[in-house]
Amino acid sequence: MPRLDRLPQLNRNNLLMLPVQVNDTAPFTRLVTPLAAARLAIVTTAGLHRRGDRPFGPGEQTYRVIPSDAPTRDLIQSHTSLGFDRVPMMRDPNICFPVDRLRELIARGELGGTGPHHYSFMGAQRDLKRIQEETGPEVGRRLRDEGVDVALITPT
Amino acid sequence: MLARALEAEGIATTSISMVREHTEKTKPPRALFVPFPFGHALGRPSDPDLQHRVLRAALDLLTEPAGPVLRDFPDDAEPGVEPPAPAQASGIAPAAAVPDDPALETAQMRQYHEQWLTRSGGRTAFGLSGVPATRFRGVVRFLQAFAAGEDSDVEERPADLPLVNFIRYCADDWKALYFEGRLAMKPRVTGDDVARWFWGETAAGQVLRRVRDRLDASEDPRWKAAAFGVAR
Repeated sequence: MPRLDRLPQLNRNNLLMLPVQVNDTAPFTRLVTPLAAARLAIVTTAGLHRRGDRPFGPGEQTYRVIPSDAPTRDLIQSHTSLGFDRVPMMRDPNICFPVDRLRELIARGELGGTGPHHYSFMGAQRDLKRIQEETGPEVGRRLRDEGVDVALITPT
Repeated sequence: MLARALEAEGIATTSISMVREHTEKTKPPRALFVPFPFGHALGRPSDPDLQHRVLRAALDLLTEPAGPVLRDFPDDAEPGVEPPAPAQASGIAPAAAVPDDPALETAQMRQYHEQWLTRSGGRTAFGLSGVPATRFRGVVRFLQAFAAGEDSDVEERPADLPLVNFIRYCADDWKALYFEGRLAMKPRVTGDDVARWFWGETAAGQVLRRVRDRLDASEDPRWKAAAFGVAR
């Protein structure tokens, strides 16, 4: 329930200070494939990556590629802001990276499948220019080349 | 933001939003606002039913004919027991008697962390510094020295990794060792309980408060930013 009016002042001020882009409209791609036949990839801003990958540094606007069959014990999170509780993620990575839930949806026939990779960015960013102009579109093109129809975008 | 970039490349997106006020401004094509505490994007850990309901609500937005669309996940699903944001060091008074030997305390916590690894199947938040738990005593000495105002280093620090980034990873690993160790020790505690114990009752918590103080006293904005990440 992080409604701003229920947050401690320190957190509220920190959030209000974050520069946020203001938009009136949004680009909109219709999903033409039914979900039961669609391929989905997670794109998370949780700063997750494989254990051997270089951790994210502060303000880093690059991304990491996570094979969709990677076991969660091979992943680590270098987004470690004190602004969120890390205990839920320690207990169950599905709290922001729901790979087990996706497998269940696929097994039940409600989702077609996942792409070969999920993608991860660093969260709590102030400057997003490079993500907007370079690394974000690059991940979009990679997803398209991998036959992915839908991206599920998850925060921490 | 990210959603907009992907959508422009022809990928349909649906996003989970934690801060409604931000999402109202950025206007991603489809977003589900969830009323959960930070760190709980899909509801509650180890609650597949709630996680599935959140996932389903997010995926349902894909059938909307036009956007941007921002929908609220129903309030009645709030986990309830956790505060909306974790307790911070500045709001937790250290206990009257806190252990004063961080190295000994860390050695004890490592035993609980071993239990955690057994139970989690090897899953752990520990490992950002690159220094294995078996050699973490050197990191503890390093952080103690830094907190005391001394200049020191650890031989495992990669040459291309700035000292301040390494300090942050070391602090994160130290917290991970304690937090996961505590979860092995007391499996039913909340994240809030663990934070209050760490900052209030452990020697490690007190060293990290002093690491924060030294980083924060610097004029260098990167040091100040790291201070905000170590303790606030």
